[in-house]
Amino acid sequence: MNRSSSETLNRLLLCLAGALVLALMWGPQEGNFGNYWFAIKESLFGPRVLVFLALGVLAFLAMTFWPRVVPFLTRPGVWPMVAGALTVVASQTLMHWADQVGDAKFGTVASAAANTNGLAPLASAFFGGLCWAMLVIVVLLLAAGIVSGLRNFGWAAAVLSVVSAVIAYVSHSAVVDFVGGVDHSLGVYVCIVGYLVLLTAGLVVAMSHAQVANTRRAVNQALGWRPGLPLVLIGAVLGAISLATSTWFSPANRNATLADTRNLFRGTGLAPIAVQYLAWLGWTIFAISLVLSGVASYRRIRPLGWAGAALGAIGVLLTVLTLYRISSIGADLHVDSADGPWQNLGAGGWMTCAALFLIGAGGYVAATAPRHSERTVEVDSDAVASGRSASGAFLTAPGAVRSGLMVAIAVALFYPPTANGFWQSVLVSEIGIYVLLAVGLNVVVGWAGLLDLGFIAFYAIGSYTTAYLVGSLPVKPPSWLEMSPLLAIPFAVVICLLAGLALGAPTLRLRGDYLAIVTLGFGEIIRIVAVNADGVTNGSQGPQSQVPHPVINLGPVKITWGLNQLQYWYLLLVFVLVVVLAFRRLENSRIGRSWAAIREDEVAAQATGINTFRVKLLAFAIGASTSGVAGVFFASQIGFFTPDNFLLNNSILVVAYVVFGGMGSLPGAIAGAALLTWLPEFLKDQVPAADRQMWIGAVVLLMMIFRPGGLIPARRRAVELSGFDQRQRLEPVAVPAGEGL
Amino acid sequence: MTSTMNDSATSEHPTAGRENVFEVKDVTLRFGGVTSLNNVSLHMQRGEILAVIGPNGAGKTSLFNSLTGVYTPQEGSIQVRARAGDSPSSVIGLKTHVVNRLGVARTFQNIRLFPALTALENVKVGIETRQKSGPISAMLGLPRQRREERESSERAYELLQRVGLERRANDIAGSLAYGEQRRLEIARALGTAPGVILLDEPAAGTNPAEKRELATLIQGINVEDGISVLLIEHDMKLVMSIAHRIIVLNFGEKIAEGTPEQIQRNPEVIAAYLGTPADEVADLDLSQPELHRIDTDVPLGELVGQTPAEAADQHDRGELPR
Repeated sequence: MNRSSSETLNRLLLCLAGALVLALMWGPQEGNFGNYWFAIKESLFGPRVLVFLALGVLAFLAMTFWPRVVPFLTRPGVWPMVAGALTVVASQTLMHWADQVGDAKFGTVASAAANTNGLAPLASAFFGGLCWAMLVIVVLLLAAGIVSGLRNFGWAAAVLSVVSAVIAYVSHSAVVDFVGGVDHSLGVYVCIVGYLVLLTAGLVVAMSHAQVANTRRAVNQALGWRPGLPLVLIGAVLGAISLATSTWFSPANRNATLADTRNLFRGTGLAPIAVQYLAWLGWTIFAISLVLSGVASYRRIRPLGWAGAALGAIGVLLTVLTLYRISSIGADLHVDSADGPWQNLGAGGWMTCAALFLIGAGGYVAATAPRHSERTVEVDSDAVASGRSASGAFLTAPGAVRSGLMVAIAVALFYPPTANGFWQSVLVSEIGIYVLLAVGLNVVVGWAGLLDLGFIAFYAIGSYTTAYLVGSLPVKPPSWLEMSPLLAIPFAVVICLLAGLALGAPTLRLRGDYLAIVTLGFGEIIRIVAVNADGVTNGSQGPQSQVPHPVINLGPVKITWGLNQLQYWYLLLVFVLVVVLAFRRLENSRIGRSWAAIREDEVAAQATGINTFRVKLLAFAIGASTSGVAGVFFASQIGFFTPDNFLLNNSILVVAYVVFGGMGSLPGAIAGAALLTWLPEFLKDQVPAADRQMWIGAVVLLMMIFRPGGLIPARRRAVELSGFDQRQRLEPVAVPAGEGL
Repeated sequence: MTSTMNDSATSEHPTAGRENVFEVKDVTLRFGGVTSLNNVSLHMQRGEILAVIGPNGAGKTSLFNSLTGVYTPQEGSIQVRARAGDSPSSVIGLKTHVVNRLGVARTFQNIRLFPALTALENVKVGIETRQKSGPISAMLGLPRQRREERESSERAYELLQRVGLERRANDIAGSLAYGEQRRLEIARALGTAPGVILLDEPAAGTNPAEKRELATLIQGINVEDGISVLLIEHDMKLVMSIAHRIIVLNFGEKIAEGTPEQIQRNPEVIAAYLGTPADEVADLDLSQPELHRIDTDVPLGELVGQTPAEAADQHDRGELPR
């Protein structure tokens, strides 16, 4: 009795302390002259601290009553409920809702809407508190359904989720129309996504047969029920919205939908195909491909699936062509001082592209998914039910992984054109390049298990190689060698490969920590050489003249990079795709298995006949050359760079991306790099600049505590972490003579 | 001091006169002041099952490590001629993987699998060290690479069947039971197409039924595949039943060599295991209860094969005493 009460007290104090830490994190970070305690006073002695203390008490209550909640956590629908609710909360606290209103965040928009007369009553109500009320009711309904097991609660929650999503959308539109102007805010879309996840939770609660099944199984059953159908459904919703209501053309603060655009371009000499598309062809292709893919996936008819895929692809091409025509004419007429195609376009066209792409992809998935009889027994086995399949993968339903990949590709292809200039440049110079670097380092760190802390050196070598070959350095190449940056890629690859061999050959006999220190030194050597070799690298100033943007000129087709960021993005995307496809094959080849073997047990690998030195060197060289490609992109995209772009900090960041994403997992490395490069830019708008690193640190820390395998753990690594590794250590490990230190 | 015994052993052995797989001459291996192998000479003939026994710390595993290039002895020579028709080459100074490529495969006393790979992949790693396709052909998925990949999968599956693990092909190696892991290690070693296989305590931690299967497996490897087997084992029943010849090490020195029957009768061996000087063994009173049992129920080794240290090891592993 006594002991448990002192435990409870400890827990309460811990929660309150955590709340105070959170209050400090949230508050201002700097003091000022004359008032050094400003930050602490502001954070801890203002009225705001009460909110955090209340949060602490809530956490305490949650922990205390946790054991009673646990039995319900394995019931279907719990995790979608939590994820959906958190998404909605995030959208209604952190995100922008209308670009034209103040700082555009939800709170500002909401108070502005509450103080404005003449706004549609529904919108006033939504921003005046209905938004939170709806969320609370949906969550309560779901919770009631999960606890009581009554299906009708699930149905009610599902219906209310849909209603809420519609209300959010309508309210947002009302505000944007009221304010006028162009809006790029994403808050409402994230909010809708959150409600869709809540809808899933509602459906899972309503339809799950077993009282105690788990979400993973329910999700896999839903996805595996009709492979491809989820994609088709997403495409249908997206396409209907974009064709009916979204903005296709937005000159001079005007939001023209598909129909408006048709009227707008009447008699401007728009190409007939585009006119037809705007009039009826777009809708028709959408409808037919929807029917084809939908029927194909529902009835599992393969030829129809292929037809749907083909029509989807044709639809995407036609949509892009139409967008090109529209924006070209817009440019000819200098609408909004447009000086080239692809300007002044709204999100609608791109959303339609994504919708058609997803519908086509749904047809493709339906056409290639294994039939009922061919399905592996695994799908419905206990292993999946207990959430522990042999591969440890979350998605085991046929076609599920492929569907996920398709959604990712659709986002990568069609989101960037709708983003504003800032996010486009973040996509290219941060996300794209660091994804390439992380994929390269994943070979070294994740697969071969060699900690390389000087990885950025190869990136620097790639950049300087490019600068040399285009003639931007004090040392000029012979005139016959001067070339456009794109052609520098093979040279950069070869030179980085050689640099990798040069670094690896003497150092790869070292193990673990020693190798990390040597590579760290190598990274610094390269940077310091770049700073000090004035005659070769122009020292700390970086290259003398700008590294030019690449141009491809093939007679009729002329592509000039550098006009805007998107061209670089698509080029990067192609390279990332090629590299990822090649590496995926490599992972499952004898080379990939040799890497896993030496990572697992070097002595055994040697005894099995693997030339460990050569295989490690290969990993080093392949990682280095990938990094070189990223260097070429960086140099030609940014034009001017200095040795300060290649700091130790960057090397460590790349390692962090790989570890965060999941060591040895390709999708993990991509997701980790994308998320951790996106997060600082996102936080720019959300928290004070000085706090940014702290929040990122907190995210990484939480990740490593709760998901040590990373965001998307590699199958081969997940096993090590799950404690399957029962190797006996009866004898000290035999270290071969002459190895190690 | 053991010369008479040796000479008679080699002349009587059925495989006498065949070429030698290993020829070890005067090998000495030291770690700082500790002499692990002292002036050891031995030879192994093609096609035989040769067992190395001795109390813990006798230098058996050091001998294995010297034979496979993990350790480099300071003195002496080791010649290997793993496959018939090979020209002999010296192991000393060669890297482990080169020795393996000469046709010498091995397993480890403390199991060393690649625990995060599946059973099938573990065997494939062994098979693929003999393949040629490089990273470029892997990345491009060239036909040759695909053919090699298919071949290695098929061969790996055959080998898993051979050791009775085909049902566990897609299970993670780390999740297999102890005895299964030992057999998987043998399959991986067989994957490298060896001429001689070195098994380091393959029966440790396995139950009696598994031991019988193991004996059949080792004899099968020896007879059907024509692979010479060098075996370290403490389970004397197993050793006595399958070994053609036995070498006994003690404190890094070879104290006896001969057929199982000869070894069981050798006073020096009995002395080494009982910790009594050899000349006293003869005077031992066989009416003493322990020694009486040796003579009657159990083959000699069964009792003496388990030193107290080993029993402690077993206890540490959470196994029942044999």
